[in-house]
Amino acid sequence: MEILRIEGLAKIFGSGHIQVRALEDINLSVSKGDLVALLGPSGSGKTTLLLCISLILEPTMGKIVFDGQTIFQKNGWAGVDMRRVRREKIGFIFQSHNLIPFLTARQNVLFPLDLVGMNGEQAESRARELLEYMEIADRADYLPSLLSGGEQQRVAIARALANNAKLILADEPTAALDTTRGKRVMELLKKIAKENQSAVIVVTHDVRMIEGFDQVIHLKDGRIETEKTNAQN
Amino acid sequence: MDLAFYDMKQHKGRFIATIFGVGLLFTIVLAMNGLYRGNIDEGLALINATNPDLWVVERYRGGPFNEQSTLPEFYHYSVKAIPGVEKASPFIYYSVERLIAGKSRHFSIVGYDVFDGLGGPQKIYAGRNIQRAHYEMVAHRKLGVRVGDRIPLGLHTYTVVGLTKEAVSTDGEALVYLSLPDAQEVLYQKDNEEVRSQRERLLRTLSGQSYLSQTQAEKLLAPLESDTHIINAVLVRLKPGANRPMVARLIEKWLYLSAFNTQEERQLMLKGRLAGMTKQLLLFRTLLMIISVTIISLVVYTFTMEKIRSIAVMKLIGAPDWVIVRLVMEQSLLLTISAFLFGVVLIGNTYSLFPKTILLVPGDTLLTFIVVFAGGILASILGLWHALKTQPAMALGG
Ligand SMILES: Nc1ncnc2c1ncn2[C@@H]1O[C@H](COP(=O)(O)OP(=O)(O)OP(=O)(O)O)[C@@H](O)[C@H]1O
Ligand SMILES: [Mg+2]
Repeated sequence: MEILRIEGLAKIFGSGHIQVRALEDINLSVSKGDLVALLGPSGSGKTTLLLCISLILEPTMGKIVFDGQTIFQKNGWAGVDMRRVRREKIGFIFQSHNLIPFLTARQNVLFPLDLVGMNGEQAESRARELLEYMEIADRADYLPSLLSGGEQQRVAIARALANNAKLILADEPTAALDTTRGKRVMELLKKIAKENQSAVIVVTHDVRMIEGFDQVIHLKDGRIETEKTNAQN
Repeated sequence: MDLAFYDMKQHKGRFIATIFGVGLLFTIVLAMNGLYRGNIDEGLALINATNPDLWVVERYRGGPFNEQSTLPEFYHYSVKAIPGVEKASPFIYYSVERLIAGKSRHFSIVGYDVFDGLGGPQKIYAGRNIQRAHYEMVAHRKLGVRVGDRIPLGLHTYTVVGLTKEAVSTDGEALVYLSLPDAQEVLYQKDNEEVRSQRERLLRTLSGQSYLSQTQAEKLLAPLESDTHIINAVLVRLKPGANRPMVARLIEKWLYLSAFNTQEERQLMLKGRLAGMTKQLLLFRTLLMIISVTIISLVVYTFTMEKIRSIAVMKLIGAPDWVIVRLVMEQSLLLTISAFLFGVVLIGNTYSLFPKTILLVPGDTLLTFIVVFAGGILASILGLWHALKTQPAMALGG
């Protein structure tokens, strides 16, 4: 089942003769449980694409359909409450500094639950469950500054999963980690795509990390260069 | 989820230091409130305690407290003769600096007709009222004397027969009641040497006049010597049913004096001597409030700027604006309110140590709190403005 469809998307920064065409004619389709890798050199538009999908950056043209709802078309945002869509349907993991530093691991996971009005014992047990799932439950009451980079990323993933996000966006989640820890995080992302049936889009520089992905999209100068679809499962 | 609280737990030290510093500023604001009330309360205490129907003073003078007013003593007989006046008593009031128990003390003296005149002490809490025409005094406890103490003032020694705790002088110092002639003597006290030299001076002036013989000059000496039968006001009690404005008008017209009721006497002080201090205190309080709000807004701004990345993360995750507004504003208000409470507790435990009377009025404290609360909201505006314009995309930057 299709969760995200993008048609003819373009993003142009600036105006006049200092225009930067960050994205041009992007078309893609992501289904439930899909694991998508977004590859490309620096400045190729990966983050820009992620920001457009997450309703943070307004595209210049094209169309975005998310979870059956047209959220963007040529006239602009289609009257959706963007923060609400984000807190209810999208989970975010980024390169680093993901976590709110003054909240413990557990509280960081509780935060998105609190935003959708879930609290008390129900929220606590959900947080515990997620931290156990990410194998970080023993560090639940640590502040992020006391956790290693890999541990922080696992807490961030737990937080991204908290509201059963339909789409998880990860911008270079392994960039700050060594290969072993990076691989471990990628394994977890694969696991949630399969077990949770969330679509996961991961931006990465590192081709070694992408084995077993359903789609691998190569961006270059804002255009999709090659698209490889694995149908291995 | 109380984000503000969790964040402040991380910065306990800075938070407490700010509460302490701003709290001291608020303590001063509250002290100034009390000083303002105390200043007015004491400035009017003697007027309120004496409270005659009319104060008769030198014409065109706002006496006897706001301005100097001097009248010949016998004027109270003339006032007594005005229709509607039941009693007219001479009254003298002045401040002195004298040695009391070896220490130089500043205080004021009230002289009144101790035999059934107006203007004496209202309540005696220890001892009794003055009963003899001379050498007895009633003192305010601020003077630090006891009943039975013998206090030398000028040429004589006075026995403390009673103590009061009501009226103080208009500048908040102790008040001493004496009989009118005693008060006049303390005021115009002259030792024999001075009396003699003054007489010499006068005689020389008179002898210099070619139309006076030496005998004539010597004869004129006595009547021309300076008169000490001077008072500052005449206090009036009206007959039952007498019309106060009418009596006042008669006194002004026939005797060429001014007559004020107690309310007018208060207004003279409030618009006169007390006004400067009141304005000064208001200015200081305003400045201190501005300083407090500035400090809090800088602290809240720094707290917010340190969290700007977290705020971007929150927005990215989809936190609505009110979550962020609450985070910033709660810290600002918590700082402000804690500092204010610190101030209230501190002044509540130290007000008696101030040299000037601090009169704490709950209404003033409440009003200050409202201003402080509004200040706390104002202080968060700078931080809020930055927090709200933060782009969620910032969270993604490397
Ligand atoms: N706010 C902006 N204003 C103007 N140009 C921008 C803006 N954001 C990005 N760009 C430009 O758009 C292009 C794509 O940037 P983007 O950040 O998407 O690259 P990226 O693929 O994420 O790179 P990296 O791997 O270094 O993170 C770049 O040329 C960049 O300079
Ligand atoms: Mg990028």
